[in-house]
Amino acid sequence: MFHLRLYMEYLKQYMKVRLAYRWDFVAQFVTDFLFQAINLVFILVVFGHTNNLNGWSQAEVIFIYGYFLIPWSIFVAFFNLWDFNERYIIRGELDRVLTRPVHSLVQVIMETMTPESLIGVITGLIVMGWAMTDLNLTWTWYDPIWFILFTLGGVAIYAGIFISLTSISLFTDSKSDIQPIMYNIGNYGRYPVNIYHRVIQFVLTWILPFAFVGFYPASYLLDKANWQWYAFLTPIVGMVFLGIGVMIWNVGIRHYRGAGN
Amino acid sequence: MLAIDAKELTKEFKVYQSRPGLLGAFRDLLNRQYRTIRAVDGINIEIEAGEMVGYIGENGAGKSTTIKMLTGILQPTSGELKVNGFDPHKQREQFVKTIGVVFGQRSQLWWDIAVQESFRLLQKVYQIPDQEYKQHLGRMIEILEIEKLLDQPVRKLSLGQRMRCELAASLLHKPKLLFLDEPTIGLDVLVKENIRQFLREINKELGTTILLTTHDISDIEALCSRVIMLDKGKIIYDGSLTQLKKVWGGGRKVLLEMEKEISLDELQKRTADLSVHWESRSPRQYIAYLEQGDGVSDLLSRLVQDMPIMEMQIEEATTEEIVRKIYQEGIPVA
Repeated sequence: MFHLRLYMEYLKQYMKVRLAYRWDFVAQFVTDFLFQAINLVFILVVFGHTNNLNGWSQAEVIFIYGYFLIPWSIFVAFFNLWDFNERYIIRGELDRVLTRPVHSLVQVIMETMTPESLIGVITGLIVMGWAMTDLNLTWTWYDPIWFILFTLGGVAIYAGIFISLTSISLFTDSKSDIQPIMYNIGNYGRYPVNIYHRVIQFVLTWILPFAFVGFYPASYLLDKANWQWYAFLTPIVGMVFLGIGVMIWNVGIRHYRGAGN
Repeated sequence: MLAIDAKELTKEFKVYQSRPGLLGAFRDLLNRQYRTIRAVDGINIEIEAGEMVGYIGENGAGKSTTIKMLTGILQPTSGELKVNGFDPHKQREQFVKTIGVVFGQRSQLWWDIAVQESFRLLQKVYQIPDQEYKQHLGRMIEILEIEKLLDQPVRKLSLGQRMRCELAASLLHKPKLLFLDEPTIGLDVLVKENIRQFLREINKELGTTILLTTHDISDIEALCSRVIMLDKGKIIYDGSLTQLKKVWGGGRKVLLEMEKEISLDELQKRTADLSVHWESRSPRQYIAYLEQGDGVSDLLSRLVQDMPIMEMQIEEATTEEIVRKIYQEGIPVA
């Protein structure tokens, strides 16, 4: 509760600063939107050459992409850990964070938030809705509940993986280039996994479970019976990975060597 | 209760050693060599509540590392540490509510937002009740004279203005212990004096314990009755400033200028029983080196009556000179 109220305070301050630079704010919206549109065009181009991707129709693939945007955008809005190494380790801002009475990870998350990325949730819903006009889906009363649980699970998976990666900076002060690679791998989760080689399928399910962020939950919502058991695992996988991430972070804080003076 | 109680406090760092050349770089890839450095080497510090203590040392002496352990940023490698009754690293979140920290070279405030908004965020972070916050902040604004700065973003403030706001920010939650790391670096004399005055006031008014690290010895002279001196990770002096001057000050220098020429023998004869050493610059100018600082009056009583002294100057080694001497020559008295 305390963290939530504090988050709102940080959010208020963040909005004040952002609104002071109006055009920058608008530009951010436009680039985010364009970025998502390009991804969509890519899917449309692929289906211009074929009307079937290993058993998946164009509308289904677009639906999965639309769904993927939702947990992805929430993740980006809350866990913007891109320049953690540069800002907190090299410039030493973590020292300041550690002298304040709030959990260090919570503070870092609050200081790096980019709530404007939440626009992606709306884009995602629109894309899903558009795809659904071509699909004959029946939603039961409990599907929205699953939808929310899947989304939270997906956010937790992303958060867990990226918190773990970010924590590497706490152990070593050398820069690692693993984050951008991971962002790319994360994108594999928004296409049906059975179009990939079996090894990649295994990795995306159990090692870097990005398939749980987009594909598995979306295919449950598409009433594909053969994937639904995976879909139900989403919240659990999310909890496990987030737990691992926070644990590695906490160990990292104990190893933190401080910025040189 | 002791504000700071450290026993055999030690911090070691593993440093990665790279071999020279491209071949060396390849060998490093396969087999890394590490060297252990003791940044802080078994130091003992006891500081009573309400003390103002100066913590000095050259760059790389282990000052920052000590401060980072005392503030909970770093975990000690070994030794016992209690600050305000807490284990700083293990009980970090509870502990840091009882301390205030000002790092001169790094801002504690949010760069882009107005000063008062930074204060408000800190109020929420430290969970200070509204009533108490308003009252205490009002007092801070008054003594630090920052009323006019409150609606400015931090990035627009001058260094001196910013430092006064930093001080207010670090004291909002009424910490019992305040860590100051180079608080007057880059400030002009007037601002320095204001800040020192403020620190004296809060120490007296609120009983705040203050640990000050600085390169500027005049800060310490103005504020601290006690200094702890660190060299190569070890404490080489812990005691009062006056004691430091007395032991390592190397006595005093008295410069005399006479109205007429006087022989060195004459002077030496008159002061034969005093521990004084004479040096002549010209037949009319002499320097007397006294081993003990308190020998000045004895010396003068021998001379003034029938010596035609025209001008006289008593010189004392400044603390800065003393400290420099200690670092250059090591510890003269073990």
